[in-house]
Amino acid sequence: MKRRGWIDALFIFPCAFAFIMVIIVPFGLGIYYAMTDWNGVNPIVNWVGLSNFQGMFSEPQFIYSFLITLMYTAINVVFVNIVGFGLALLVTGKLRLRNIYRAGFFVPNLIGGIVLGYIWQFIFNNVQVDMGNALGIAFLQKSLISRPDTVIWAMSVVNTWQYAGYIMMIYVASIQSIPGSVMEAASVDGANFFQRVRRILIPMMASAFTITLFLTLTNSFKQFDLNFTLTNGGPAMRFMAKPIRSSQLLAMDIYRTANQQNLMAQAQAKAVIFFIVLVIFSLTQVYLNKRKELEA
Amino acid sequence: MRKLLSLALVAVLALSVLALPASANEKVNFSVFQLKVEIDPMIQAFGKLYNEKHPDVNVTVETLGGGADYGGALKAKLTADQMPTIFMIEGQGGYDLWKDFIADMSDADWVKDTDLAFYDPDGKAVGFPIAMEGFGLGYNAEILEKAGVDPATLTTFSATKAAIEKIAGMKEELGLDAVVSVGTSVAGGLWWVTSQHVFNAFYAGYQDYNDSSVYDALRRGEVDQERMTAFANYLKLLYDNADPNVLENGNYDAQVAAFASGKAAFITQGNWIDPNLAQLEATFPMGYISHNFLEEESTGLYMAAPSWFVVNKQASPEQQKAAIDFLNYMALSEDGANYMVAEAGMVPAFKSVKLQPEGPFSKALVEASARGGNFNWYFGQNPDGFNQGTLGPIFELLATGTVEDFVADVTAAFQEIANK
Repeated sequence: MKRRGWIDALFIFPCAFAFIMVIIVPFGLGIYYAMTDWNGVNPIVNWVGLSNFQGMFSEPQFIYSFLITLMYTAINVVFVNIVGFGLALLVTGKLRLRNIYRAGFFVPNLIGGIVLGYIWQFIFNNVQVDMGNALGIAFLQKSLISRPDTVIWAMSVVNTWQYAGYIMMIYVASIQSIPGSVMEAASVDGANFFQRVRRILIPMMASAFTITLFLTLTNSFKQFDLNFTLTNGGPAMRFMAKPIRSSQLLAMDIYRTANQQNLMAQAQAKAVIFFIVLVIFSLTQVYLNKRKELEA
Repeated sequence: MRKLLSLALVAVLALSVLALPASANEKVNFSVFQLKVEIDPMIQAFGKLYNEKHPDVNVTVETLGGGADYGGALKAKLTADQMPTIFMIEGQGGYDLWKDFIADMSDADWVKDTDLAFYDPDGKAVGFPIAMEGFGLGYNAEILEKAGVDPATLTTFSATKAAIEKIAGMKEELGLDAVVSVGTSVAGGLWWVTSQHVFNAFYAGYQDYNDSSVYDALRRGEVDQERMTAFANYLKLLYDNADPNVLENGNYDAQVAAFASGKAAFITQGNWIDPNLAQLEATFPMGYISHNFLEEESTGLYMAAPSWFVVNKQASPEQQKAAIDFLNYMALSEDGANYMVAEAGMVPAFKSVKLQPEGPFSKALVEASARGGNFNWYFGQNPDGFNQGTLGPIFELLATGTVEDFVADVTAAFQEIANK
């Protein structure tokens, strides 16, 4: 049968059209607006070149948001994966009611980030403080989300609570696909539990790690809903001699620039930087993980 | 069954299409588009009443659902060519955006009956004040009486300071958690209480209602250090006597509840908390004193209209006239007064309205308005996002920081926007 180019094109058209209209065109427009002085309403748009990009790196809030987002991502990638992997080992072991645990650990992931933020705000501001007062523990007497030095950690705890169950599911699927005979052979040879995990399980799960690390990295880097409802960027602190918000992650900084200051073009410029950094980080991560997969 | 239903629907639709042009020939149709959800049933009823009494016009009132984006919805209406005849603006920002659609109402009768109209840069009255809102330092008269403090004497900084310190010493016997219920946290969403409302005392306090010289100087980057230090000391006094949990991470509910349950003697909130106080069954007598940060005597409160009705300049002349008549009727008739005050529970922005609102703080505002010597609002004139993004963290840091840092930070913040 003869293949006809235009028929192929016709089949691709719906998908290509949607992709171009919702991804490619807005992306191009976004880059264009990043180099203008557009405020979101005014129809008159002037070209300003790269000045939006120069301004942002002298802005203490943006620099801080950048650093704190990197830190938050690093904490989360470690926390979520360790907890998720631990839970996966637990629910694939010889545990009674393990299916119930599996479902239970996954449930927090089904609660929307907005609701979750408000629930945890109550837990930190009321439950935790009351507990601190009742037990006389000074560390707990002031809400963890109202202290600049602990707020990022508190957010990571909440994110881990929400996200570890999801990551656990990926690990569980991966563990189950490993033939039981391999593990059995290892234990017959005298390998203890930790040796089996270290030498057999982890190398055989390399492709799962590629996925989970990618998901946790991008998810944490783009964190917004939890940030918005749990801390709204607060509490305030001083950075480069200016009062700023200590838990305002990059996504939220962009949102505020666009919607509260009505500086649509500057926000767009920040979003472009955000995109580039995220692409660099995630591609590096996937590249390194893929190499590990090949080794294993 | 389904067929019957769709037939019936089609019939209804067809009828309604037929019905519309029939009445349009004789009546002037105009529309109101507003965003105060809490007054929706009342203003609908008022529109209906107006239509009954004025057979030659037909007004339709539309309210945008709770918390929705009014500016966005109005832009959508503009694009759909359904721009309402009367719509709302919330200050200078809204005026700048919509000025091509805002008609001059200087000759309307209601203008002479209010001090709170919105004026454009040429001094023409363009905005009809929907209500008056105001704030000061609210007090619980019962607690003050038990503590032996007469609120009428709290007219200077030193008197206020002495009273707060006296009550602070009697916290146990009065059953208080803290003297002042004030919140400043960004996380709890109370940044506006301090960085907009309390700070407005600095912009407007101790001046004539229309004297904006302090604010204007501030916007030029000239920060009166003495006045700012006095204000910072006052704010620090409030902070130092607040419940740290409410101050640093409390939300609106926590702040109002502390006052309503008698756990705090003072509160930094406006008359919009009246319905919340009623819900929380706070029945004790209460009132306002001024934010006294200087030694000069003052009893003035900070009151203004938070939003205005404007008439669409691009509507037909008949519609514009009908809209202005409608606003006149709202401001000057007994039906209008009944709607604004008795039904919607708002503090009227018009002098001829004799009805009194029910809420205790609203009543206090009416009294203060009659007494005079009150102060305007200026915080709405700051650049977009400045109050929340720049002032918010500065005001929050004062809770754990020093007055000197606060003054330096505020000075730097205003100098930065002045240079632009």
